[in-house]
Amino acid sequence: MIDRLRFASLAGLAAILMAGCSSTVTMQMPTIPEPRIEKIPVDVAVRLPAEFENFVHVEEVLGKETWTIELGRSNAAFFTQLFGYMFDSVVMLGPDDDPRDYQFDALIEPVIEGFEFSTPSQSQSDAFAVWIRYRMSIFDSVGNRASSWTVNAYGKAQKEELGGGDSLKRAAILAMRDAAALIIMQMEKVTNIRQLADGPLAPAPDTTDVMQAGVEQESEEPASVIGIFAIGGIDDAAE
Amino acid sequence: MRQSRILVVLVGLSLAGCVTSRLEDAREKVTGLAEGQSVVVMTKSYHTGNETEGDYLTCIEKALGSGSKGINVIPHQQFVDELFPWFEPRTAPADTKGLPVLMGRPGVADAVKGMGVRYVVWLDGDTERVAEGGSLSCAAGPGGGGCFGFAWWQNDADYEAAVWDMEGYESAGTVSADVSGTSFLPALVVPIPLIARTQTRACKGLAQQLRAFIVQ
Repeated sequence: MIDRLRFASLAGLAAILMAGCSSTVTMQMPTIPEPRIEKIPVDVAVRLPAEFENFVHVEEVLGKETWTIELGRSNAAFFTQLFGYMFDSVVMLGPDDDPRDYQFDALIEPVIEGFEFSTPSQSQSDAFAVWIRYRMSIFDSVGNRASSWTVNAYGKAQKEELGGGDSLKRAAILAMRDAAALIIMQMEKVTNIRQLADGPLAPAPDTTDVMQAGVEQESEEPASVIGIFAIGGIDDAAE
Repeated sequence: MRQSRILVVLVGLSLAGCVTSRLEDAREKVTGLAEGQSVVVMTKSYHTGNETEGDYLTCIEKALGSGSKGINVIPHQQFVDELFPWFEPRTAPADTKGLPVLMGRPGVADAVKGMGVRYVVWLDGDTERVAEGGSLSCAAGPGGGGCFGFAWWQNDADYEAAVWDMEGYESAGTVSADVSGTSFLPALVVPIPLIARTQTRACKGLAQQLRAFIVQ
């Protein structure tokens, strides 16, 4: 009995010590203000990947602590709001929905290609920084790929409390706002999405289900299409 | 009784570190603030490498708006949200040349006018530790503990505020604060911190100068 108690107390102590070496940050639903822009007159469908429903990023700072950031549905909420503000009409599709069942001018498929952050101890500063790289694939109404665009977003927030979880959250929200600003400013110019309101770019492709293969196609693209993950950079490729 | 009060005041004064400050302004045009007009204080973008602290911005906002001579200050986050996405760190105009185009965007000029914003103040700069020295060691045992030694450090707070006139879309001038403070920490059993509040001094000084610059 005493041995059991001793083991339990040791296990408890070990658990407390291990917990002290890791931090978990859970994001609240982000809200972006209504932008002061004119809506783009295009009917779009937005298909969100399954990872947008529960995105978790774990990063181990070598020899120090482990950070887990749970973005949860925040990306889904973010893109739903953003495209709702940007386009005349928006239909949100789940990962299992077949776009051919819906009417639209353009289909947008955002994915997270990269998520990174740095802590004050890593950057030798007093700030947390978050980088998010999204790839936006755009298809016309019959499944021809119209454009593929990488959006590199950056957010930085000063550490203002012990632990820094809230600061990391602020940095992540700032990175998402940065992405929103970039998408609002550049999307029409980079992707020519407005012209898809005039009809598809070409007849429907022969291959079956091109739209379903959107993400997989990334690896087949020439190297120049893959964005360099740099602060504030924009990489685009209209096809 | 009187002697003890004097002693308390003297001890209080001696507990502050040494601070020197220099405040300057460079005016480019006549300014003034009519009734109902407001000011917004922003920090320059971190995308351009600016490191102005969030608490310094808050301090300037409070200092400008407080007191009998306080002026109307719109909280920066409210301004940024109202004009989303045109004053985000990535998209904010770098100089007044970009203002006419920005004001031509849908709803932007109306929003600025609706909030009564006459001036936007852009803060640049930060507080840095530029030197430190000395040594201090502490020890504790069953019979008690204590510290012995002497440490010191010097902080420099160097800030500049650029004032933009949102009526003429032009620069009204700049106000700058350069404050240097040295803090000391002597310890003979008990450490006695003599802290120079460099950033606070830079905040109060710059806010006072800014208010005088804007209101004239």
